[in-house]
Amino acid sequence: MNTQTLDTSTMKPQYPWKKSRPTVVIANSLIVVIPMSVYAFFFFFTDLPGALIFIAIFLPIQIAMAVIMTIFALGKRRVGDAVLSVLSVTAFSLVLALLGSVLLSVAARGLPAMRFSFLTQNNIYISPTTELTYGGVGHALLGTLTVVAIGTVIAVPLGIASAIYITDMKGRLAGFVRFIVQAMSGVPSIVAGLFILAAFILTDFVGFSALTGGLAYAILMLPTVARTSEEVLKLVPKELRDAATALGSSRARVIMRIVLPTAKAGIITAVILGVARVVGETAPLLLTTSNTNGTNLNPFKDPVATIPVYIFQFLGSGYESSIQRAWGAAFVLMIVVAILFALTRVFSPKGKAR
Amino acid sequence: MTALQVDPTMKGNQVNISIVEDHQRLKLVDSVAHLETQGLYVWFGNRMILADINLAFPENSVTALIGPSGCGKSTFIRVLNRMHEFIPGAALAGKVFYEGRDIYEQDVDPVDIRTQVGMVFQKPNPFPTMSIKDNVLSGLRLAQIPFSNPDEIVETCLKKASLWNETKDRLDASAQSLSGGQQQRLCIARALAVNPKVLLMDEPCSALDPGSTRHIEETIRDISKDMTVVIVTHNMQQALRVSDYTAFFLALDGNPGQIVEAGLTKDVFKNAKDSRTHDYVNGLFG
Repeated sequence: MNTQTLDTSTMKPQYPWKKSRPTVVIANSLIVVIPMSVYAFFFFFTDLPGALIFIAIFLPIQIAMAVIMTIFALGKRRVGDAVLSVLSVTAFSLVLALLGSVLLSVAARGLPAMRFSFLTQNNIYISPTTELTYGGVGHALLGTLTVVAIGTVIAVPLGIASAIYITDMKGRLAGFVRFIVQAMSGVPSIVAGLFILAAFILTDFVGFSALTGGLAYAILMLPTVARTSEEVLKLVPKELRDAATALGSSRARVIMRIVLPTAKAGIITAVILGVARVVGETAPLLLTTSNTNGTNLNPFKDPVATIPVYIFQFLGSGYESSIQRAWGAAFVLMIVVAILFALTRVFSPKGKAR
Repeated sequence: MTALQVDPTMKGNQVNISIVEDHQRLKLVDSVAHLETQGLYVWFGNRMILADINLAFPENSVTALIGPSGCGKSTFIRVLNRMHEFIPGAALAGKVFYEGRDIYEQDVDPVDIRTQVGMVFQKPNPFPTMSIKDNVLSGLRLAQIPFSNPDEIVETCLKKASLWNETKDRLDASAQSLSGGQQQRLCIARALAVNPKVLLMDEPCSALDPGSTRHIEETIRDISKDMTVVIVTHNMQQALRVSDYTAFFLALDGNPGQIVEAGLTKDVFKNAKDSRTHDYVNGLFG
């Protein structure tokens, strides 16, 4: 036997499939550079609108360049790949640009209003001419959190329970329940608000309050929570349920001890997605929570302010500082949603339900 | 000795396995068949899967169920601990006696049957959210069986499943950190922890390497000292190595599965009465 040890210290990992022939590199850069210079030419030296240049000149030229260069550098068989790459990269960039511009415009207009006091103070004694250093969305932020919390407390148990009914109990009405849940996701949010208004407020059961707002939110959250939970419960392997059942477990214990813990991360995602679904809804709150300038700490009584309604109120007033406050509130709302989605990523099982 | 006597008028190709032929069986005649099916027919929807299955499993014996894929072996063992009924469209006729009592009678609690008739599945399925230790104890917790000495139970069961030496230093590690063969032995340990009287094994070694398979076969021989084992296997050598009795299932051209031959393993393998059995165990078809 050869006892000589192999010296591997000089070997470094290599990636031979990443190497490109010079012609391919040149062709690729031409596909990018030529259409861009044409775009720049038309943009700076004609009066044509940018969008028109993009669709009527840039895209056709880029696709043509991709086809020609690919035939030249790689052969006819790869033309389909090139066209597909151009189209998908274009579509992706458009989506990215749209989302980016939404984020940027909200941030650009909302940031001037941002300061610590804006997050903590409420709107009492604030007139449209008051400086931005006074007053804020504290009361509305608190209100939104309260209303969302109430909605969550109502919708999450119902949603998870109906998902369990559909996936694990497989009850006789499972198909019907699933159909209703799916149909509910089409309920316009203002209809949810109207329903709560008619059923609870106009009947003098409860007045405008965080509770009624939470009820309206619950109607909107329920389909999202139920559908997402159903999907993640379906991901729990049947083998685990079989294993637990074969060990002599009752059905309730299979669900509580095995199915739900296994799907925990997905269920948390379902809850957060449900919250994200409703947190910016304005219409139902206009009809159920009303609005107020002060901080209302009682969730069961009296109108309460929320961020969406706050934005609605201030954007409509027309004064410069009010509009700035509205943008500031929009920015706060966006941050809240961003935090929620960041949380989903943290809790999501890798590669599974998101 | 009542239940052991399968109906002597039983027709055709089934062999009455209660025929006393050797020393080991002589003792068993005085005992009651631990588990027995009589005139068992099984359907999914309108399709008959198994027809007229009459099998008796003596106490503390190992019985191998062999036969080509699709002949209803797995369905059969799921009937034995009432897991069959969870499959949509499942139906059944006939009787399944466990310790002298028909487990499909109305006043029998299926959860109770499953604690006494345990099962190990083809694919290792430890609970991914639990540690190795909690997996072993999971059966006791799920079936709400009180216990006071968790460490002792974990050690005994892991030793029985010959997994103790590999896991004793990391009992709190996730069950998913184990290899496939180790996971399967963990599943066996988990099934043993509830102390069942019968253990049903559905191709427990089909996904495992020879080393793990040998471990599990040793385990089967070991636990059958005080447990009745029924094992489905496609490995003829395995059936020969681990089992006392063998039943050969066959489903021909869309017909329901039936037992072609059943008896002492050495007879089925060496002196098959039916030529199909002879051909199958010698690898000539199937």
